[in-house]
Amino acid sequence: MKLLQEAQQVHLHHQTRRHFLKSCGTGLGAIAFASMGVGAAASKPSSDPLAPRTPHFTPTAKRVIFLHMAGGPSPLELFDYKPDLAKLDGELCPDSLLEGKRFAFIRGVPKMLGPQATFGQHGESGAWVSNHMPHLTRVVDRIAFMKAMKTDEFNHAPAQLLVHSGSPRLGRPSMGSWVTYGLGTENENLPAFVVLLSGGAAPDAGASVYGSGFLPTVYQGVQCRSKGDPVLFLSDPDHIPRNIRRQTIDAINAINRQNHEEVGDPEILTRIAQYEMAFRMQTAVPEAMDIMREPDYVHKMYATKPGETAFSNNCLLARRLVERGVRFVQLFHWGWDSHGAGESEALNGGFLERCRETDQPVAALLEDLDMRGMLDETLVIWGGEFGRTPMLENRSGSDNPFVGRDHHSDVFTMWMAGGGVKGGITYGETDEIGYTAVQGQVHIHDLQATILHLLGFDHLRLTYPFQGRDFRLTDVHGHVVRDVLA
Amino acid sequence: MKTALYVLGAGLVLLIIMLITVPGGGRPSDMSLFFGRFHPIVVHLPIGILLVAALLEGLSRVRRLDQRYDLSVQVLLYVGAWSGILAVIAGLYLAQGGGYEAGTLAWHKRLGILVTLATMVCYVAKARPDLVRRAVRLQDHKIYVGAIAVMILGVALTGHLGGQLTHGSGYLSRYLPDGLRQLAGLPAKDDLGKLQLTDPAQTSAYEALIAPVLESRCIACHGDRRARGGLRLDTPEHIMEGGDDGPPVVPGRPLESELISRVWLPLHADGHMPPEGSPQLSVAEAELVRWWIEAGASFDQLLPDAETTPLVESILDGLGLDEIKTGIFALNTAPPDSQAMDALAQLGVSVTPLAQDEPYLQVRCTDLQACSDDTDLPGGLRRLASNIAWLDLGRSEANDGLLETVGSLPHLTRLHLQQTGVTDAGLEHLLNLEYLEYLNLYGTAVSDSGIAQLSELTALKSLYLWQTDVTPSGVEALQSALPDLYINTGLSLQPVEPDTTAE
Repeated sequence: MKLLQEAQQVHLHHQTRRHFLKSCGTGLGAIAFASMGVGAAASKPSSDPLAPRTPHFTPTAKRVIFLHMAGGPSPLELFDYKPDLAKLDGELCPDSLLEGKRFAFIRGVPKMLGPQATFGQHGESGAWVSNHMPHLTRVVDRIAFMKAMKTDEFNHAPAQLLVHSGSPRLGRPSMGSWVTYGLGTENENLPAFVVLLSGGAAPDAGASVYGSGFLPTVYQGVQCRSKGDPVLFLSDPDHIPRNIRRQTIDAINAINRQNHEEVGDPEILTRIAQYEMAFRMQTAVPEAMDIMREPDYVHKMYATKPGETAFSNNCLLARRLVERGVRFVQLFHWGWDSHGAGESEALNGGFLERCRETDQPVAALLEDLDMRGMLDETLVIWGGEFGRTPMLENRSGSDNPFVGRDHHSDVFTMWMAGGGVKGGITYGETDEIGYTAVQGQVHIHDLQATILHLLGFDHLRLTYPFQGRDFRLTDVHGHVVRDVLA
Repeated sequence: MKTALYVLGAGLVLLIIMLITVPGGGRPSDMSLFFGRFHPIVVHLPIGILLVAALLEGLSRVRRLDQRYDLSVQVLLYVGAWSGILAVIAGLYLAQGGGYEAGTLAWHKRLGILVTLATMVCYVAKARPDLVRRAVRLQDHKIYVGAIAVMILGVALTGHLGGQLTHGSGYLSRYLPDGLRQLAGLPAKDDLGKLQLTDPAQTSAYEALIAPVLESRCIACHGDRRARGGLRLDTPEHIMEGGDDGPPVVPGRPLESELISRVWLPLHADGHMPPEGSPQLSVAEAELVRWWIEAGASFDQLLPDAETTPLVESILDGLGLDEIKTGIFALNTAPPDSQAMDALAQLGVSVTPLAQDEPYLQVRCTDLQACSDDTDLPGGLRRLASNIAWLDLGRSEANDGLLETVGSLPHLTRLHLQQTGVTDAGLEHLLNLEYLEYLNLYGTAVSDSGIAQLSELTALKSLYLWQTDVTPSGVEALQSALPDLYINTGLSLQPVEPDTTAE
């Protein structure tokens, strides 16, 4: 077989443009004619990369809302209750915990830091939630906490890439792109994969965390802004009415079609389709992104801040988007990087702000989805890219002005709800000080395998050929965490 | 010429003597096993030689070249007869070693002897037609052609049975394309080797995982037809009772349990099981047996209750246990008619399969005006009645009239009717939906009397009633009838204690 392919390749190497033009004069026309026929016969060509497709097995989740708490929220102040750590507060960290470890900022021997929160058990499931998340306590019985998450990276950019693309290096498609590639879209007027940013900073790894990598660019996440034009460069220029716009696009498409008839490049058809979709998006996107169409009580529920870029607005937008058939909504909220080096990034500063900004909207999102019957088929994921140390950060060996913890990759908490996830459970356990996993460790790859499983995919079989081999989101890793499946 | 006949006669006598003396139980000697192992080598000689003989004979008859090949055919038949004799003798010794399926073996033996005898007849008829003419009142070439036919047919059948003995039955058809499999009445390829469990919750780990291994690897010699060493492994009682060497299973102690320790012995070691030459347990199968013994060798512990190791977990993953089918997926529903799917899609609804290899569809209204009673929609839905599992009519023009059609979709599991014109009167059409798990009625005019009827839907798991006329007492009544049902009645804005540590 290889010999045959090699022979074909050698043959092709010797083909010049002259050969091509000489022998293919009539062939090209026939190809162009054939593709025209297909385009005319089916209202939606089967080659449409975004057409809804069939998963491997019956899904329990139809769509995903991923709430990425960028920066790495501290589980020790939120969900992972460690009373023993409080007793060790202020003591020097024993050497045994530091041997062979490398931290982003901690140098020398740091002090232990007790939980900067009070904890209580909530719901019928008795889930531990700290006083910083009072609203979330209402919905804990719908949530599966995974308390022994594990990542390989302790810096933001690679760790975020690992969470979203399965690799700490650039170039791989993000989870949303894989899901869109696998399932297509249910709404041809809106992008299938939408990204909403808040918290004043973009993800450290840049747009690559929602990029399409080596997948076709049509699966790329589309960033929508909650303030100003939702999608940049989408609205018509001033003084250009919609009918003129229509005529412009018709003219461009006519030229493109003519061009396609001449050269038969299928990419031209894609281009025509993109123009059409952009035109449809011009009405559909502003409608979907206009939260002012929601009644007052919904705004109250989410504590929205109309006219601003806010996480609460984005949560409400996420619900509006999934309601309209968007497959994957990715939220990033920056500001959880609680080192203690400055007030904005301290457990007794910015961290509390982040809790206040997100607690009510997240709880509202789960409740709002649920009462519309959508939580049952929408997977909501909450978490950052890594955890934080049980030690007080001593940046470069000296004390920080505020209280904070360093990056920690061995253990952190994430949670999932809805979409076929077992509610009211805690999976995985950490040691007495929340430093290592004791049981039920879930690696990022395992989380990804589980997310794909809930969407109906065997993570081993959702592949794309690139550079000579079939790639998958989990590459060569990943086990489905069956204990969190309903 | 005469000498050759005498020598062949001597061969016939030898064959008869061996047939009488070789068979018998007891432990065969090393020498006889040594000779026996030559059977697979020797046996291919007659196969090749006799096929060539038949080919030359056929050629000479078709092309009228009789004279030219006569001597060659004669020589080939002679050598073929002798190699047949040797193959039969070696085969008798090999069979002594045991471990072969008795029925197939008996037929293999009979046919092998028949082929050898037929070859001898062929040779005599070819070399000395006069002898034949004298012996029977038949034309010699009829005897000859008949014997050749028997010989060739016999070679084919014997060879096939021999292959079955060595490789197991189904070896040839294992990779037969599915289309041909259907013609031959075999199950589709995908079903092979997959566990077929209907309800995991009701199946014991032994029944699901261990019994199939014993069935395929052990029962042929340790079952109701034969019980070598007095041991039977076909029922739990027989396994615990054991054979001549005592019980093969010591619960909790795999190292002391011969059921698995013999499997672990080197292939050539004395007492290795299954015997060398028979199909062996795969690594995964052996691990499952070990795990089952270590976990206490329970015959009735249910699969979900059994504690698994990561290795066992990954074996179970490979067996596709997560795809165990329940509810509508356990039913044998015919695949949807693609023309009916296309026709339905033309009406402004999206029609997509639920999953690969499933006959069920999800149908979703995209053109909200089209989804009403007075379009072609009811007819379109009815054409795919047994295939529609998920139906989303949310926010559409659907009304009570349309529900009459919806209620006739027997395999519906998820139904979205939120923000439609359906009322209490429409709900009574839904009461026959025995598989319905999800019903979304938020934003409709249903009330207490309507949802009271839903207590008949015993499969129902989630019900959504926000923005309806349903009252708390109505919910309470339904909840007491269906205690496991999740009922969401919507917005409940409770005051929350503010985070006091903030400032």
